[in-house]
Amino acid sequence: MDFAQFQQAPVSVPTEHHSHGNRWDPYVDNGGTSLAIAGEDFVVVASDTRQSNGYSINSRYSPKAFELSNGSVLATTGYHADALKLVEHIEQRAQLYFHKHDRAMNVSAMAQMLSGILYSKRFFPYYVFPILSGLDAKGKGAVYTYDPVGNMERVNYQAYGSASALVQPFLDSQVGFKNQRNADPSRLLERPQAVKLAIDAFTGATERDIHTGDWLDLFIIDQDGIHQTKRELKHD
Amino acid sequence: MSIMEYNGSAVVAMVGKNCVAIAADKRLGQRALTVDMNFQKVFPITDRTAEERIIEPKTFSNLVSHMLYERRFGPYFVEPVIAGLDKDNKPFVGTASDNLFGMCESLWEPDLEPEELFETISQALLNAVDRDAMSGWGAVVHVITKDGVITRDLKGRMD
Amino acid sequence: MDAIKIQLPHTVQPRAENANDGAVSRTMQPIVTGTSVVAFKYKDGIMMAADTLASYGSLARFRSEKRLMAVGDNTLVGVSGDLSDFQYMQHVLEDLETRELCMDDDQTLGTKSVYKYISNIMYNRRTKVDPLWNSYVVAGLDHDEKFLGFVDLYGTRYQSPTIATGFGAHLAQPILRKRVEGREDEIEEEEALAILDDCMRVLFYRDARSFNKLRRAKVTAQGVEISEPYSLETNWDFAESIVGYGG
Repeated sequence: MDFAQFQQAPVSVPTEHHSHGNRWDPYVDNGGTSLAIAGEDFVVVASDTRQSNGYSINSRYSPKAFELSNGSVLATTGYHADALKLVEHIEQRAQLYFHKHDRAMNVSAMAQMLSGILYSKRFFPYYVFPILSGLDAKGKGAVYTYDPVGNMERVNYQAYGSASALVQPFLDSQVGFKNQRNADPSRLLERPQAVKLAIDAFTGATERDIHTGDWLDLFIIDQDGIHQTKRELKHD
Repeated sequence: MSIMEYNGSAVVAMVGKNCVAIAADKRLGQRALTVDMNFQKVFPITDRTAEERIIEPKTFSNLVSHMLYERRFGPYFVEPVIAGLDKDNKPFVGTASDNLFGMCESLWEPDLEPEELFETISQALLNAVDRDAMSGWGAVVHVITKDGVITRDLKGRMD
Repeated sequence: MDAIKIQLPHTVQPRAENANDGAVSRTMQPIVTGTSVVAFKYKDGIMMAADTLASYGSLARFRSEKRLMAVGDNTLVGVSGDLSDFQYMQHVLEDLETRELCMDDDQTLGTKSVYKYISNIMYNRRTKVDPLWNSYVVAGLDHDEKFLGFVDLYGTRYQSPTIATGFGAHLAQPILRKRVEGREDEIEEEEALAILDDCMRVLFYRDARSFNKLRRAKVTAQGVEISEPYSLETNWDFAESIVGYGG
C-alpha cells in the first residue's frame, strides 16, 4: 500500500519544489498476522512473531502484540517501527490519564483515544492496523478494530495482516457462524474453543502465507488479568 | 487491476472419499459492475461422448495444460479447475482465491464422505465469497460420486 | 523597488526567484557506502565484523575506513550504508558520551539506551522523510545479558541472536542460522572466530563491493575490543574450473 500520497497535505509549502515524482517511500510492510476473538468474560488475542521485509526474515521473535498498562492488549500489523511508536504514544497518554484521574483508563476510553491518536496523523498516518482488546466496564470481552487513520468499530472477532484474507473468512464461518441457517450469529464462543480456533487459524495461515510463522504469542484476557503463552509455528 | 480480475469469480474443487466436489459462485462482472447473477462456470466434459470412450480426468487435465501452454505468449485469461473421479487433489481459483485457501486449509480434511464434502465445500465457498466483493451472488455445487453427480444450488448473500 | 509581479495563468507556475528558496536537501541515495556487517551471540558475548572498504558506486574509493565503533564501556556499533551519514551519527554518539560523562554521576551508558537512542534518531529522521541512509547493528553486554539489535533507515528494529546487514542478510545469515542459532551460549571464542571468518570469506568471494581487509570486534565482560585490520586466507583455485565467461 502506498501511503506516500497522504504526505501531500492540503495545506502545505508550494508543491512545485516538492513534487518529485519518485520520492523516497517512508513506509515498509513488515508482514505478519494478528487476530482477536471476544468471549462473554474473556478475550483471546493472537499474533505471530515473524518480522519480515520483502522475502527476508528479519527476526523470528519480534512481538507485535503488546500488553498495555491498563490491562488491555494491543495487537498490530503493518509497519513495525510505526507500531512501536504508536504503543509509546498510547502509553504516554494513558499515563497522563492515570495521574490526572487516579485510575487506569478503561478499555472503551482507550479505544476512543486510539481512534483520535490515529486520526491526528491523518495526513502522515501510522501505517498500522491495530486491534485493541480487553474487558469492558461490564466485564465483557471487547475487541476494537481500526484502520490506519482511525476508523473504529467494536466487533466480536477480527483478523488483520498479511494473512487476513485467509483467516477472516474462517473466523466468519467458525466464530461468526455465517452461512449457517440454524446458528445464532451473536453467540460467543467458550474459552477452549476460542483458543483452539485461534491456533487453528494460525496453523492454516502459516501454511499458505510466507510472511506469517515462527512463533505465536497467545494472550487470554480475563478478570484475573492477562495470561500469555508462546507456541511454536512452522519456521519455513 | 489485473485482467484476471476483470470478470471476478471463485471456483473450488475438493477430494473426498471416493468422491470429488466442484463448486463455483454465480456472479459475472465487468470489473465492479455485476452483469449476470446466474452465470454458469462449471461444465460437464465427459458426458459429451464424441468418441466411443470417455476421457480420464488426468488425461483431460494434461490436454488443458497443453492447450494453455500453446497460448503461452497470448494466454487465455482463465484459471481452470478440473475435477473428476480417479483422482485429483484440491485446487481453487478466482478472485477469492486467498480467501478460499484460508478456508480450505482449515476446514478440509482427508476422506470426507459425499455429504460431508458437500457441507465443507459449501461453507468454504460461501464464507470465502462473502469477503470478496468480486464474487458471490449464490453458488452451485456438484458432488461427483461413482453413482452419479449430485448438483445443488446454494443461496448466498446478494451483495 | 519591488519588481512588478505578473499573474500568470495557473497552468504556468513562476519559478522561484532564488532557486534554493524552499528547496530542502535530503539524502536521496547513498553516495560513499560500506557493505555488510555480520554479528552474532556466542558464549562470552557478541562477535561482529565489517570490512574497511568505502565504495563510491563501483569504485573502491577509500580502503581503510572504520565501520565499527565503541560507545561507552560495553557497547559496540557496526554500520553499513552511507558513510557520511554514519560519521554524522558518530558525532552525535560522541556528543552523547561527552554529555553523559559531564553528568559525573558514576553512571555509564547502557547498550539498550544506546540502541534506543540510535533507533529514535533513525525513526525521527525517516519521519522527516530525510533518512540517515544506514543500517546499524548494536551489540553489548549488560551484566550477564547479551544484547544484539538492528535498526535501519526506516526505524525498523529487531533483536536476534544472529544479524547480518546488506548482502550479508542473503549470504551470511544462512550460515549463521545453521551454525549459531540455538547454540548462542555454547560457542567458544575459537569457534566464533572461525564462523565469523567463514562468513566474511563467503562475502568477499561473492559481494563485489567487499574487500579483503577487515576488522572484527567483540564485546565481553571485559568490554569492547576492536581488532586492527587483517586479511583472510583465500583460495582461488576453483576459478580454474570455471568455464565460459572469463574462464
